[in-house]
Amino acid sequence: MTTAAKAVHDQQTPGGQGAFAASARQVTKAYGAGETRVTALDAVDVDIHRGRFTAIMGPSGSGKSTLMHCLAGLDTVTEGRIWIGDAEITGLKDKQLTRLRRDKIGFIFQAFNLLPTLNALENITLPMDIAGRKPDAAWLDQVIETVGLAGRLKHRPTQLSGGQQQRVAVARALAARPEIIFGDEPTGNLDSRSGAEVLTFLRRSVDELGQTIVMVTHDPVAAGYADRVLFLADGRIVDEMHAPTADSVLERMRRFDGKRTS
Amino acid sequence: MLLKTSLRSFFAHKGRMILSLIAVVLSVAFVSGTLVFSNTATGTFDRLFASTASDLSVGQAKDKLTADEQEGGAASTVPVDTVQKLAGLPGVKTALGQVMVQSAVLVDPKTNKAVGPTSGAPTLTGNWVETPRKSVDITSGSAPKGAGQIMLDADTAKKAKLELGSPLRVITKSGNYDFTISGIVTFRTTNPGAALAFMDTPTAQQDLLGTTAFTTVDLFGDGSRSDDQLKQQALAALGSGYEAKTAAEQKAENNKDVGSFLNFMKYAMLGFAGISLLVGGFLIINTFSMLVAQRTREIGLLRAIGGSRKQVNRSVMVEALILGVLGSTLGLAAGLGIATLLIQLMKAAGMNLDASSLDITWTVPAASYAVGVLITLLAAWFPARRAARISPMAALRDHGTPAEASANRIRIVIGLVVTGLGAAGLAAAASADKAATGGQWLGLGVLLSLIGFVVIGPLLATGIIRVLGAFLPALFGPSGKLAQRNAMRNPRRTGATAAALMIGLALVTGASVVTSSMVSSANAQIDKSVGADYIVAGQGMGAALTPAMVSAAKATPGLAHLTDAKELPANVTAPDGATTETKLVAATRTFTEDFRLKTTAGSLTAAFDGGIAVPQDWATKHQVKVGDQVKVDYGRGRTQSLPVGQIIDSGESLFSGAYIVNTDTVTKVVPEKDLPASIQLYGKAAPGADPDRTLTALQKSLEAYPQISVRDQAGYKDLIQQQVNQLLYMVYGLLGLAIVVAVLGVVNTLALSVVERTREIGLLRAIGLSRRQLRRMVRLESVVIAVFGALLGTGLGLAWGITSREVLAGQGLDILTVPTGTIVGILVASAVVGLLAALLPAFRAGRMNILAAIATD
Repeated sequence: MTTAAKAVHDQQTPGGQGAFAASARQVTKAYGAGETRVTALDAVDVDIHRGRFTAIMGPSGSGKSTLMHCLAGLDTVTEGRIWIGDAEITGLKDKQLTRLRRDKIGFIFQAFNLLPTLNALENITLPMDIAGRKPDAAWLDQVIETVGLAGRLKHRPTQLSGGQQQRVAVARALAARPEIIFGDEPTGNLDSRSGAEVLTFLRRSVDELGQTIVMVTHDPVAAGYADRVLFLADGRIVDEMHAPTADSVLERMRRFDGKRTS
Repeated sequence: MLLKTSLRSFFAHKGRMILSLIAVVLSVAFVSGTLVFSNTATGTFDRLFASTASDLSVGQAKDKLTADEQEGGAASTVPVDTVQKLAGLPGVKTALGQVMVQSAVLVDPKTNKAVGPTSGAPTLTGNWVETPRKSVDITSGSAPKGAGQIMLDADTAKKAKLELGSPLRVITKSGNYDFTISGIVTFRTTNPGAALAFMDTPTAQQDLLGTTAFTTVDLFGDGSRSDDQLKQQALAALGSGYEAKTAAEQKAENNKDVGSFLNFMKYAMLGFAGISLLVGGFLIINTFSMLVAQRTREIGLLRAIGGSRKQVNRSVMVEALILGVLGSTLGLAAGLGIATLLIQLMKAAGMNLDASSLDITWTVPAASYAVGVLITLLAAWFPARRAARISPMAALRDHGTPAEASANRIRIVIGLVVTGLGAAGLAAAASADKAATGGQWLGLGVLLSLIGFVVIGPLLATGIIRVLGAFLPALFGPSGKLAQRNAMRNPRRTGATAAALMIGLALVTGASVVTSSMVSSANAQIDKSVGADYIVAGQGMGAALTPAMVSAAKATPGLAHLTDAKELPANVTAPDGATTETKLVAATRTFTEDFRLKTTAGSLTAAFDGGIAVPQDWATKHQVKVGDQVKVDYGRGRTQSLPVGQIIDSGESLFSGAYIVNTDTVTKVVPEKDLPASIQLYGKAAPGADPDRTLTALQKSLEAYPQISVRDQAGYKDLIQQQVNQLLYMVYGLLGLAIVVAVLGVVNTLALSVVERTREIGLLRAIGLSRRQLRRMVRLESVVIAVFGALLGTGLGLAWGITSREVLAGQGLDILTVPTGTIVGILVASAVVGLLAALLPAFRAGRMNILAAIATD
């Protein structure tokens, strides 16, 4: 983490309404013990800015997925503290974590995002159904309009193409107006055209709808859609880049690879 | 190679196989347990009979037209000098005169309760003689001497808490005799349950027979002649009027008596074993279907790299074979446990069997393996065929398990046609004129409707669960909605799971409709046709009403009359010359006030005015009309010709198939002393007398005879209800096994579905479904499947039960009673069963690690 970001975080207490949608302090995640101990995350500090599109990059085994899972309350940390918005999530019980994910977080996974028994619309409103909330009709229409699914709402997932399925997943993540959306390689399974489509929707939802998005990816092109890229290696944040382009990310990755192999 | 893959695959999926394995084990255990049990029972009796049979037993030749001792007739006897006549024959070592009757009743005077078997086994009372082949030994006390001593067998003494010196009363036709127990005898082999009592020979002849004679003479040879030769000699020496049975004949006769009871039990239990096998088959089909579905990609890959369809098919079948062999082996072992359990159960019911030596013949493992392996292979054949059809393309397709195709059209058409035929069969049964034809149509209808329902199960699953589950989203929110969709997503699987439950419940419902109709019809019949207030009858064997009892009952104050009914064997000859062997009911005139029988023609009064009442079936068959003369032969040359006074309708249930005459008519040709003892007495309270007080008074008059029961109409109805219930509870108990297997099927389907939907569950948990909501989702799916199965089952069972009642309407089941309480109970219980079945799968689903679940391929 950069000195500037740390300074910003230090100024605000993690209990109040601030500029960060999520924060992590000294987060360590280790598996096993003693000789066989493997450290996936090593004292990571990170802040996710509200209303921004953040990409997390790094080679396989760098800990990028683990970081995302911990931030999203899917996985527990060994040490350190994590906040979503103004609420600390470390130490929460499963019940509270579940409610947190339901009410404040949206997810887009790489594949198998949708329930095969529900149609597109039912999948989109599922998190609100689970919470027992009525979806905001105007907002829902806008989201559906944005992702361009108006004609396919009654389709079952098996009747949709891979790109369409991911767009339904994006709509589901957006529809509940979560504080933050986590994407785990959301375009990893798509061809470049469908991938670009989905990334454009994510970008637009940040710009037009003010959504906060964190996306794990290993694709420089995908990272190029973000406002900021965090680079992870061996469980640590080793660099970050603002206003990235596909080329600059690729360049950075190359350098990074070179450094690692040297 | 192939075997190795199959073995590996089997053990890799052992968790998923476990419930199928249990189903196979349970079913096979039932088969092997039944066989071992019936072998052991037969063995026990064989050993007993082998130990008691003499080489030759000589007695009076049986006349078919003489009332048996158990029916109130006199015991047949041979003169005392028969012993001397036989003892002198060449090849005879010993000839012993035996007295042995079944009609004496043993009573403990201290408690005034009957002593002896309650299981239907006989109480044998006789004289004590030392024989070369003994079945019992005196283990304490000494042999009885004189009129006051008696010896009792140890099992009976123990059960009745009697010991040396305890008083014991013997009630015979000639009166009541009091004894003191002088000795206890113990059986050399296991005694299945008969009670034995011995007196000295003069006392036995005096008290039991009322004459100095023997019931049989037992011969023991010196080995120089065969039993058959002894028999020929004996019969030649004695002349006519005697019959002789060799050891082999005695054994065969005894076995025939016991065998019919044991065979009934054996076939009933094998029937239920068959049902549980059928139910278990559905479970196996489901397991293999799911395994195949889950391995679609793997199988696709195997096909892509060159595996043939045959190889794929065979690999599934080999897995099934392993399951079948393993299940049969464990089932065989568990069967020994079941056999032991059954033996203990029979012991509790009063029948001792030799539990120390379970008889396991080669047929037991042979039948167990045949049944277990065949059923498993048969059930796995459908999924194996489906596996072989998987295209190599499946390897390349998306993750996850492909949804099953919904029920295909051919299946629907076949299912509908078969169900339609079944319904037609039931309709034909209901409208059939004759019960016999109706019965055939009924069987066909039941079978076809069952098959039809199983075949269209998936179609019904989609339709009915849509309706059934429609309220779930409203009631249970998202869990309800997801549960409803999940229950509908694999109609074939849901159908098969529900079908397993359906079979057991259909049988239970059908049986309860028939039995409750039986009870209500009988009650209505009693209300309508019984004028008597009291019914006096003996309980169990040898419990005829002696003249002493009849006069004691008649002396009761407050009685208007007491009708005396006897049964006597007779041949009835129609005008067309056809002779029917029957047991004639002979009753005193007041019988006409006690019963209003359903009548086709004539009247009961006419029958009692020197005529006879005959059943409708017989009258129709031989074209007998009221007024026609029929010939009645009472044996020993006593015959009379009687006009038909009444034809009794075939719908009459209390006296169905009976021929009834006035006792006064019979005594015109049969001397009173030759009439058997009474079977039942019917009493009516005098006008003005308090019926309840008269009942108590009547019971008090017969207090000294604990084997005799006095009931009023309500008590009689209770008795019928009890008898029907006993039958029903046995059916329920045995069908319980089929339902247990079906419940295992629900657990199995859910558990496998949870595994199959791991990723979905992970996703649901990630986007915020709580553990409670998730568990509720699994439970609701389970309840929906169970209730669906119960609906099909009760629906089918109702159709079966109502049709059966219709078929039996001519046999006295004229009132249809649908046991609403039972049916509601079944539906509620099925929901509970669904909840219970979901406990473990729901728990496992809730505990699933979200990250691991999402990462599952």
